[in-house]
Amino acid sequence: MGAGSSLRDTNVVILTDENDFARLLTARWQGERQLPALTVLNGELWKRQQRPSCDLVVIGPLRDANLGGILHTLDSVAGVILCVQGDPRELGELRARYPRLVHIPLREDWAQTLLLVAGESLRRTEALRRARQSQCEASENAYHATLGRYMLEMRHSVNNALTSVLGNAELLLLEPGQLSTQSLDQIKTMHSMALRINEIMQRFSSLASEIREAEKVSQAETEASPAGSPGRG
Amino acid sequence: MPWLVADVLLYCADYSQEFVRVDKKILIVDDSPSQVRLMQDLLVHEGYRPVGLSDPHKVEETITNERPCVILLDVVMPDRNGFQLCRELKNNAEFRGIPVILVTSKGTASDKFWGQQQGADDYITKPFTREELLRAVRRFA
Repeated sequence: MGAGSSLRDTNVVILTDENDFARLLTARWQGERQLPALTVLNGELWKRQQRPSCDLVVIGPLRDANLGGILHTLDSVAGVILCVQGDPRELGELRARYPRLVHIPLREDWAQTLLLVAGESLRRTEALRRARQSQCEASENAYHATLGRYMLEMRHSVNNALTSVLGNAELLLLEPGQLSTQSLDQIKTMHSMALRINEIMQRFSSLASEIREAEKVSQAETEASPAGSPGRG
Repeated sequence: MPWLVADVLLYCADYSQEFVRVDKKILIVDDSPSQVRLMQDLLVHEGYRPVGLSDPHKVEETITNERPCVILLDVVMPDRNGFQLCRELKNNAEFRGIPVILVTSKGTASDKFWGQQQGADDYITKPFTREELLRAVRRFA
């Protein structure tokens, strides 16, 4: 399997009534650098148990020759279906109904071909999953960015309001004799809390500047790196 | 016809382009009346004579009438912002000698730099403490 993509999170079901077929295929797969999670089921088990969803199904030789019926049960649970048995003409007709069905003829090199096709299919599945995950993350980031922008825009209003709170508290504190001890303490608390909010706002502002600087550096590095060279880490 | 003393003074002022400023009078320009009121209260306490103005379009007229020795100027105002107003005052031979202190919640380094480019003499960031406001005003009045 090619480097850079992992098949560890993918599931494959081998559906066959022939133990040799399952053993051979499992052994060949174990010889590969990356191995998906493999489940071997015979036709009877497949009919009886609750069908697990999987990324790929390999249909090997089965006693029940009703391929159409099996494909019908697989349609909702499997991503790609690789079939090594069956009449090519029948499979051609079934393919019109099940476009994710791929026929691997039982020739001398069938196992090698099957592993290649399965590998590519699983990598595609994995890539799609990662793309969907990235899309979700991007959407979440966009949501947070909107919130952040809103907070930055509100900074002006918050600072104006804080000026009034802080300034009026200071004005009251200029003539402490006119206030009771309790009122004086309360105003002092309001004053110190206003200063605290100011501190928080300033930290928020410096964080915004730091992020902007980091983005500039990162963009400069991206632009400076030679075109086509793969990124590290 | 004999000249009146006031005419002579006016002539001198025109001739030298020197604006006669009234000691301790501070013009506060901010579109928020509560901010104007606050700065007025803080300055009155220290013996200054603040004049508040919430309409940035009346700045020149008020300066001519009140002759302040310092202007405290808000930046974010509708129609005529503080940067623009500061630039126009500094380009006006009659008013350019009056120190302008920009008072704004826009506190980034680029905002301060831009304020200086417009000819501002000082810059205070909101929220300010009473001491910060007075320190800036005392530099000029």
